[in-house]
Amino acid sequence: MAKKKVDKSYDLKAAKELYYKYLERGKEIKDFEQPVDTIKIEDLSRNKILNRIYKLTDTIIKQIYNTGRPSIELPSRSSLNIIWDEENDLLLLGKQIMEKQFHSLTSVADITRLMRVLEVVTELLNEDLHATKREVFYTDVNLFSEQKNSDKSIEDVSTMLYTSRNSTHIVAAPRGSCVGRLRIRDRTDIIDLEAQGSGGWTISPFLDQIEIIESDAELILVIEKNAAMMRLAEDRFWRKYPCILLTAQGVGNVATRMFLKRLNKELNLPTFTLVDSDPYGHYIHSVYLRGSKRLSYESPFLATPNIKLLGVLTRDLDKYQIPKAARIRMNKQDEKRTKDLLKEDFVKKNKAWETDLQLAIKLREKAEIQAFATHGFKFLTDEYLPEKLTTGDWI
Amino acid sequence: MDIKLFHKKDGGVIQLIDKEKMKNWPVELPLIFIEYIREKKLDRYEDNTIKKDIESYLDEIMKEIAIPRLIGVLDSENDEEIILSLTRILDVAKKNIEMVKPIQKYLVDLQKSKNNKVVELSKNISEMFVKAERRKELARKRKIMRQKEKEFLDGKITAQDYAKIRKEYLLLKE
Repeated sequence: MAKKKVDKSYDLKAAKELYYKYLERGKEIKDFEQPVDTIKIEDLSRNKILNRIYKLTDTIIKQIYNTGRPSIELPSRSSLNIIWDEENDLLLLGKQIMEKQFHSLTSVADITRLMRVLEVVTELLNEDLHATKREVFYTDVNLFSEQKNSDKSIEDVSTMLYTSRNSTHIVAAPRGSCVGRLRIRDRTDIIDLEAQGSGGWTISPFLDQIEIIESDAELILVIEKNAAMMRLAEDRFWRKYPCILLTAQGVGNVATRMFLKRLNKELNLPTFTLVDSDPYGHYIHSVYLRGSKRLSYESPFLATPNIKLLGVLTRDLDKYQIPKAARIRMNKQDEKRTKDLLKEDFVKKNKAWETDLQLAIKLREKAEIQAFATHGFKFLTDEYLPEKLTTGDWI
Repeated sequence: MDIKLFHKKDGGVIQLIDKEKMKNWPVELPLIFIEYIREKKLDRYEDNTIKKDIESYLDEIMKEIAIPRLIGVLDSENDEEIILSLTRILDVAKKNIEMVKPIQKYLVDLQKSKNNKVVELSKNISEMFVKAERRKELARKRKIMRQKEKEFLDGKITAQDYAKIRKEYLLLKE
């Protein structure tokens, strides 16, 4: 049952202050400096990457002729080789190198898959085509057996060539969407993201063809759930509060994270996440913030290090009087995930974040964004978000 | 620079793509962009100062990017590209003939082209310029006409003088 609406007006003061601060500061965000103990991944043109592939295959052929025991070297993507770079606030790949041998029984399947993906990449680059990860899997179902195997080989190929996955022309299927005060160019079309219906514009995986051409937004809000995004879109939230809304329906996929990074960097706008109040929500925020461990080699292209966690914070559950009935008891997996997050260096360095996660452990409660519907369907758009953005209640 | 900032009085900002980036765009796109911002966005910016600033930025894009690029194509010998550009120019001219005025002089040569489509499109655009000129002249005469009517009623000019001006005006109108 919806509660009686309290007529309050919000000026988004705190978010605006951050916006003015960014405006004053200008785009003096220093260029990313690669720490010495990490490997450098580059976005490469088609020709450059093809050259790298040819050099690599030449080396393998020479090894076959010279020793008959070819092998390839690539940066290790194990958790031991993932480094949190405090200065840039990013998860990066260290310099540990692993060797895969063609003649070893333990790595023969792995290396065959890897070479198959390399062949697919060469074909895509030669023909200037793009393929999704799923399509790559279907190029040789018998060899890959499961998509997770082809996905792993795709990531191995990228690291082996020291380039981003997008440069290999293998893209993720479109999943994210975006609406709000933004106009973009997609080849010869001008797309108005305020006029895309309630579903918004599907974030294209071909981001090299996208260009930001106009915006009068003052902030960017990344939303975990599509349902919450629909609520905001239905309310045309961006009309009252000039903003850009994005969702990836869960953990940000590569295209969404890359697009968000571009928006944040080019438009220099304060950026916030709205996720469920649970460890998974906090994890989603962390992936936007400093990248995922799996794709740590691409973090400089995907992470948005100045993104703020707007909510739903654990402390919000009491503050906004989420009824007990709308809260869910944390299970063992949730508790483990929360404890794992608390062990992360980047959480330990952020006291407010650490405190909120400790509170979650203490209360053993979680809640979805939709729990605010217990105060009425418009509570999220009329009260919660405007109040948080006005008071600066974020992490 | 990727973006050009325009500061609003209320503290907000309008961010528009930097004109330098448009140098790599398809030839007709800068014109479409100018037209899009003028038609769809300018009124929404509300702040008059910012509207003026953005108008002059759009003029800069027109002068420095859009027109030189179009001229580059019209001066070339690639009929396919010329047809594409002329088609786009025709669309823009229908909405605002002033926007494409700088290419007017190139239309004379294009009407001598061996390609029928190029000739047809150039003729259509040229006719639009003629009509626009006529409309402008008519507006000028209408203004004079009103002035003379007033003077005639005040007895400052003779009926003969008035009839002469009126006749000129009506002929042009027809």
